[in-house]
Amino acid sequence: MPGMGGAARIVSIEGIARRFPGLTVFQDLWFHVDRGEFVCLVGHSGCGKTTILNILAGLDVPDEGGVLVDGREISGPSLDRAVIFQGHALMPWLSALENVAFAVSCRNPGWDKARVRDAARAALARVGLTQAAERKPAQLSGGMKQRVGIARALAVEPKLLLMDEPFSALDALTRGTLQEEVSRLVTEAGQTAFMITHDVDEAILLADRILLMTNGPEARVAEVVQNTLPRPRARANLHHMPGYHPLRDHIMDFLITRSRTLAGKPPEGWDSRRPPVVVPAEA
Amino acid sequence: MAAKGEAWRAALLSALLLAVLLGAWEWAVKGGGGPGGPTVDAELAALLSPAAAAGGQTAMPAPSDIGARLVELLRDPFHQRGTNDQGIGIQIAWSLWRVMAGFLLAAAIAIPLGFVIGMSPLLNAALNPFIQVLRPVSPLAWMPLALYTIKDSNISSIFVIFICSIWPMLLNTAFGVASVRKEWLNVARTLEAGRWRTAMRVILPAAAPTILTGMRISIGIAWLVIVAAEMLVGGTGIGYWVWNQWNNLSIADIVIAILMIGLVGLLLDRALGLVARAVAWQE
Amino acid sequence: MARMFRRDPVLDVCACGVGHPAAFACAPEAPPDGTGEMGRVVNEAALRAAFPNAATRRGLLSLFGAGTLLSALEGVLPLGNVREALAQGTPAAAPEKRDLKIGFIPITCATPIIMADPMGFYRRHGLNVEVIRTAGWAVIRDRAIAREYDAAHMLAPMPVAMSLGVGVANPIPFAVAAIENINGQAITLANKHRDKRNPRDWRGFRFAVPFDFSIHNYLLRAYVAEAGLDPDRDIQIRSVPPPEMVANLRADNIDGFLGPDPFNQRAVFDGVGFIHILTRELWDGHPCCAFAVPRSMITDTPNTYAALLRAIVEATAHSNDPANRVAVAQAIHGPNYLNQPLTVVQQVLTGTFADGLGGVQRVPQRIGFDPYPWHSMAVWILTQMRRWNQLQRDVDWAAVAEQTFLALDAGRAMRDLGLTVPESPMRNETILGRTFDPRQPEAYMASFAIRRN
Ligand SMILES: Nc1ncnc2c1ncn2[C@@H]1O[C@H](COP(=O)(O)OP(=O)(O)O)[C@@H](O)[C@H]1O
Ligand SMILES: [Mg+2]
Repeated sequence: MPGMGGAARIVSIEGIARRFPGLTVFQDLWFHVDRGEFVCLVGHSGCGKTTILNILAGLDVPDEGGVLVDGREISGPSLDRAVIFQGHALMPWLSALENVAFAVSCRNPGWDKARVRDAARAALARVGLTQAAERKPAQLSGGMKQRVGIARALAVEPKLLLMDEPFSALDALTRGTLQEEVSRLVTEAGQTAFMITHDVDEAILLADRILLMTNGPEARVAEVVQNTLPRPRARANLHHMPGYHPLRDHIMDFLITRSRTLAGKPPEGWDSRRPPVVVPAEA
Repeated sequence: MAAKGEAWRAALLSALLLAVLLGAWEWAVKGGGGPGGPTVDAELAALLSPAAAAGGQTAMPAPSDIGARLVELLRDPFHQRGTNDQGIGIQIAWSLWRVMAGFLLAAAIAIPLGFVIGMSPLLNAALNPFIQVLRPVSPLAWMPLALYTIKDSNISSIFVIFICSIWPMLLNTAFGVASVRKEWLNVARTLEAGRWRTAMRVILPAAAPTILTGMRISIGIAWLVIVAAEMLVGGTGIGYWVWNQWNNLSIADIVIAILMIGLVGLLLDRALGLVARAVAWQE
Repeated sequence: MARMFRRDPVLDVCACGVGHPAAFACAPEAPPDGTGEMGRVVNEAALRAAFPNAATRRGLLSLFGAGTLLSALEGVLPLGNVREALAQGTPAAAPEKRDLKIGFIPITCATPIIMADPMGFYRRHGLNVEVIRTAGWAVIRDRAIAREYDAAHMLAPMPVAMSLGVGVANPIPFAVAAIENINGQAITLANKHRDKRNPRDWRGFRFAVPFDFSIHNYLLRAYVAEAGLDPDRDIQIRSVPPPEMVANLRADNIDGFLGPDPFNQRAVFDGVGFIHILTRELWDGHPCCAFAVPRSMITDTPNTYAALLRAIVEATAHSNDPANRVAVAQAIHGPNYLNQPLTVVQQVLTGTFADGLGGVQRVPQRIGFDPYPWHSMAVWILTQMRRWNQLQRDVDWAAVAEQTFLALDAGRAMRDLGLTVPESPMRNETILGRTFDPRQPEAYMASFAIRRN
């Protein structure tokens, strides 16, 4: 919540801008993620979500502003911020186990081979892939590949888990299972997470806060939606929860109309550091 | 099952074609009512080849002649009766040694250099004009220059192998490295894998199939070129052996050399093919 | 040349304390101060090396006298050492370098260089020589320049051209230490030209010669020019490695060649061509191939040079003896040397050969072996290089001949072996019916209607 104490704050985005020739994707963008919090970013395609995530990951640099992690400005990628990529980004010449082991050995350069493999095996076990550990990515289904991706990201025990539409390429059933699995894993570990999604239900299921982004160019975080639905949340009974429908309707409404009408120049008196916070479930 | 039957039939057809070809050859050389005995007196006949004594020219050897000669050569392929008379096995070994020396030297330079070029668009652009000019130069055109500057003919032929096998490896490595998926590099970056680790664990395996393709092209060219180079500078090697038998106008030996050259070329390609299989990956 | 050696020489130890064949005379004790015969040779060589230009040398000599010049030179060159090396029991003073590589082209011209290996002539002079068959004249030249070979079989004009910087990037001082063979070449024509025996009928013919700088090229040019054909316009002449001559003749790519044996004979043997004329009928005694050494060998390793020259001269004399020819043919025809059928090599060396026209000819002088590098030969070669514009400037004919054809050294080696040495390295030659006076090369050149310069 804006204005909250700095101690809980793990990531602060401070007035970043990203420009390409002839295009300002966004500018003067501010938001933050608190420790243990799950934040979702929702917006239409092309508004700049991936760009933001890449800047957070350190894979891209903002033209203005900066990103603070634990109060220190970041200067590039780090093991503190693990990414689950949209495509699974597994190395096809390595087995599932080796893919995870690669990450483990990067995190723990001093470990011997056996220890690295044990840790990798444990990480795979957590996503239910013990059986498939020795298989190459080409021999895994789409869902299994993405599980390996999740295991790899979690195996480095990051401060912040970054996810860029991690389930968008999966069929609906698999996507549902994985969403719940991520929910479970993140909750169990008290993992801080930042996720980009298109899927409103996914955001409602996983997020504590949902950032709504207007269409680009010069996209803004137009609103911050507090998700007050109680945990644990299950996909099966999500829509029976009180407050679910107002929450969903609010976000859908934003995506369908307001993302477009609010786009462009910010209104008079707009404070980019404090976008309006809404709590539709309590309305 | 069907595929196996198919393969058998193809092999049978190959053998049949070969038999027909050799049979026709044998008949054309030996059959066709060949010349009878000498048509000149005994003193003169002793000074001429049988064909010339019968009023004709020495003919192309028949497959049976070639076969007999092959048996003779293979009976003691590693004999050494003086500097200029060494077995065909030794000659092939010499050629292989030169090809290996030149090829490995080229690989030792082309692969690291290709790596650098592939990773740096600037270097790529800067070196490209040189590569494009030098690459199409016929390898043997280097020979006089090599002999003039290096002065040692053995090293010169290794240099020619080096210079002709470097380009496919260089270009393929550069291409393979440049086309490594951005997402794998991003994975490595987020895992803070470091330059060396990224090169060895990510870029190298990712580009390995492309590099191997380059190496296969290179070794094919190298084997082609060594024969020509050795014919030019002589001394030892299968190419020199061909020149030597040509010198003696012994066509049977040349046919055998052609077979040997083809066979060794095939084996070289197969050997690298096995390596290529080992490093291949599929998504 | 008389037969000088026993077929199977026995090593005797004589007064000089060194084992050598009985036929060898022990060198007279040479005073090491440079006053004896040996010293004179070294002094001369040293002067020649220091002042290669004959005119300069003569001028300096007349101004200062040899003594002054030599003592001046002694400061820069270890003349004493060279002189001493040559003087000490000359025939077998220990060679500085024993393991030598000598390149050869597999043709019968190389007979002495080759047979000296299996027949033990190198070994007898304390040398361990590896004779290496080589792919072509350009290759042998390049390897000799690169010092991959210590000495090499070359066409006699090659060291001349190399020393003058013709056909190579820079002048490289090479010398003819000894001539290998005289005569022994032939013009071979394709069988279809059996009735075109007059060179006047050869307009449009395509000929092959082994190399641009070869006696073959010059003889063929002179021969057709004598018949009124311009060798550059009326016929075509290409350089073709000897082995490919027969194949090209067979494939009808050429009409004939003036080439080395055994390829003339091989063409007959294979029923592809006939021998039109032996080159001894064009110029009896013409030089063909040479035993060539880099000039630096003479000063760097004088003992090795002396031993090698002795071995070569001895082998050449041995090869020349008709009684030895069959044995020599047997020794060199095999795969380690010429790699040719025995009968082909034997026909060349014995001179009893099928001519390809249905006859058997008996010409024992078909090929001869005579080591003496006549300066007159070199001068003739120079006139031809000039005539066909290979050499585009005037040179001091006699001086070049003297520097590249080392008649003095060869003569010394011959004398040591008891062979007769000519009084003067200049003699009149009879070439294509004309007398060539090497002292009047300009007049000789001027007498040609067809020439390029
Ligand atoms: N390298 C680039 N060069 C130019 N424009 C880019 C580049 N990368 C992204 N963009 C533009 O920036 C905008 C935001 O892209 P992106 O962050 O990928 O959007 P999203 O992830 O929200 O779909 C898009 O309009 C895209 O075209
Ligand atoms: Mg995106």
